[in-house]
Amino acid sequence: MKNKFITFSFIIILSFFLITNIISKDKEISFLERRTLSRFPYITINSILKRDVFEKLENYSLDQFPLRDSFRKLKVFTEFEILKKSDSNNIFIENEKIFKINYPLNKKSLEDFVNKLNSLYEKYLKEMNVYYSIIPDKNYYLLTDDYLTLDYDYLFDYIKSNLNNMEYIDISNYLNIDSYYNTDIHWRQDKLIPIIEVLSKNMNFKINNMNYTKNNYYPFYGSYYGYAPINIKADTLTYLNNSTINAAIVKNYDNSISSIYNLDKLGSIDSYDVFLSGATPFIEITNTNYKSGKELIIFRDSFGSSLAPLLIDGYSKITLIDLRYISPSLLDTIIKFNNQDILILYNTLIINNSSIIKN
Amino acid sequence: MVFSSIFFLYYFLPIVIILYFIVPFKFKNSILFLSSMFFYFYGEPKYTLLLLLSSFINYSSALAIGKSINIKVKKNYLIIALIINLGILLYYKYSNFFIANINLLFNSNIKFLQIIMPVGISFFTFQAISYLIDVYRGDVEADKNFISFSTYLCLFPQLIAGPIVRYKTIHKELFNRKHSFELFALGVRRFVIGLSKKVLLANILGKFSNDLLNLNEMSSLSYWAIALAFSLQIYFDFSGYSDMAIGLGLIFGFKFLENFNYPFIASSITDFWRRWHISLSTLFRDYLYIPLGGNRVSKLKWIRNIFIVWFLTGFWHGASWNFIIWGLYFAIILFLEKLLLSNFLKKHKIFSHIYTISLVLISFVIFNGNSLKEILFYLKQMFIPSNIKLINKETIYYIKSYGRILLIAIISSTPLAKTYLNKLKNKKNINIMINFLEPLILILALLINTAFLIDDSFNPFLYFRF
Repeated sequence: MKNKFITFSFIIILSFFLITNIISKDKEISFLERRTLSRFPYITINSILKRDVFEKLENYSLDQFPLRDSFRKLKVFTEFEILKKSDSNNIFIENEKIFKINYPLNKKSLEDFVNKLNSLYEKYLKEMNVYYSIIPDKNYYLLTDDYLTLDYDYLFDYIKSNLNNMEYIDISNYLNIDSYYNTDIHWRQDKLIPIIEVLSKNMNFKINNMNYTKNNYYPFYGSYYGYAPINIKADTLTYLNNSTINAAIVKNYDNSISSIYNLDKLGSIDSYDVFLSGATPFIEITNTNYKSGKELIIFRDSFGSSLAPLLIDGYSKITLIDLRYISPSLLDTIIKFNNQDILILYNTLIINNSSIIKN
Repeated sequence: MVFSSIFFLYYFLPIVIILYFIVPFKFKNSILFLSSMFFYFYGEPKYTLLLLLSSFINYSSALAIGKSINIKVKKNYLIIALIINLGILLYYKYSNFFIANINLLFNSNIKFLQIIMPVGISFFTFQAISYLIDVYRGDVEADKNFISFSTYLCLFPQLIAGPIVRYKTIHKELFNRKHSFELFALGVRRFVIGLSKKVLLANILGKFSNDLLNLNEMSSLSYWAIALAFSLQIYFDFSGYSDMAIGLGLIFGFKFLENFNYPFIASSITDFWRRWHISLSTLFRDYLYIPLGGNRVSKLKWIRNIFIVWFLTGFWHGASWNFIIWGLYFAIILFLEKLLLSNFLKKHKIFSHIYTISLVLISFVIFNGNSLKEILFYLKQMFIPSNIKLINKETIYYIKSYGRILLIAIISSTPLAKTYLNKLKNKKNINIMINFLEPLILILALLINTAFLIDDSFNPFLYFRF
């Protein structure tokens, strides 16, 4: 009886997944993993002989496996709860928040980062008001030393000692672990008011309209959730509106016009793209209520997308430049540097992996 | 194709099982032969013809050897067949090694051959050699049926990573084998255990080694942990593969011999090699060491025999000096054990286990080393660390993170769990419960393995390179 049960169970399980895989419709995208999934390969004699088709079949069988997300959950559960691993795919959970190990400190990357920014200063930013700040990643605020984290003291000291001619603004004391999403890498826009205040004080601009309306989107599953699909409650993504933000005009690098918040992105692969429509090399925000004021240029990463809308009230125009997508050597073809304020704002993860910033 | 892949488990295997069991017995070998060809073709499209050619040459050679009455002619056929087999192996596996060493020795500039070693060539070549010698010795009759012989040589459960199955072990089953729910269930059990060894232990231990190798700052402890993790990884990797092969064999009605018997509980290196990769060590014993005279010769010849066998055992594992050193390392230890240590080790049981484990760990540092310089560096950092800390935070983090898996792996490398389970089975009530739970545990294990395969990119079979 037992042998029959084992035999039939084995055959049924294997056949069930085989048949389900054959008859079920292939998915195009995995929202959880934020990527397109492999499709059934096009078979040619050449691709067979080169083995390409079999490699694609392997990927296809993994990507289109029935209940793939549930199996990934089972794996993470096994790693954390049965094998008691500290992390799974470098992801760990602490107090219902998901973190990613960012380790070790890459001293070469720090050196490159500083060199790239010093060159940028020498080429374009001389005689301008240049400020910079370092956004700590959320591991900085971990309350335990059970995990491997960057040597933040070294990182901050190194950057401060080696970035020339720029004024440092320390924002690390105005953030805490709750300033970040539980399931995502990014900070929460609704927690950035203290940051706006400290920047405004140090950079001498004034925000008149700080009456924001909170708009919530739920459920927001951040990028870390895709790495470790476990039963952690989704975040609520909050974006702040007021009359200035609503009236602002956003001009993209392709000259298309949009608004600050792209609501179509809510519920897409990355809902955080609601802020300025996501990654882009170059974008301008114009304050339609304050046309004759100062201008600001922000050299930034994705953290800047949620911060910039809150700064627009203090400037007539903000230009955001993402050096991960545009080389500094091309900047004078798209922007004229004259008397703008400059804010350089990068998070520690980028600083520790600065090869992604273009030369 | 590897067993621990979704494509094998959920596409290839169910289709082959269903086809195999619905056709009449006379077509079962053909199904296995064709599926084995596809199995090989999937991984090595270009070399499938080579496998078929090897199959045909050995089939014909064995027939010629079997039919010859004249012993000299018989011997000549055998020698020709051995030269062809070893020639193919030497060409594909060792030619670039020889070229590199000739270039180094004579400062020459001979170009390397643009060839990739066919997967499993060491295994199917040695199977063929054992078959030819057995036919020559008259231990088995030459197989007259090309399909049944090729089914033996190319049978996908053991085709690319062993165990090395001798024709005489399964030749009766090739023509007449029984299928039953008992054998099938036994096969499933063994297959799932093997899959779990591979996916849940070997792969995770491999990640542990990798994490330690990529540490920002190594410590002496990290070198020890890498040696331990790699030793356990290669054991679970290879024995897991053997378990899966044995399990698949049982599903299709074949009974392969065991390839591992808890090698880490060995009380000497001699004992270790009775328990590790048994199909290879017995092959070298039966087809090389004993024909050379074994230990029933003068002391000098006996030493020669030991060194020849272990030089070749090392060299079989790979065309690289570290494998040769690895083999010779065992030759020296085995020689010393036979000459001086065996009685001492028998009397001091605890010491003998510590001695064996230590030497085995060192052996796998040699086995895993990319160069002599690297091997010596690793050993130095383990025993006389210089410019590194004994322990550091990073090493502790990873040892803590992988602590439970290490513990499970260490326990699983001993017969403790099996012995305990067998004791429990003696109690009637508990036995009923075990019988009830076993199928459920197997299903759960299969699903957990599937989960790890779906979400895992780290899945190398270490023994594929041999």
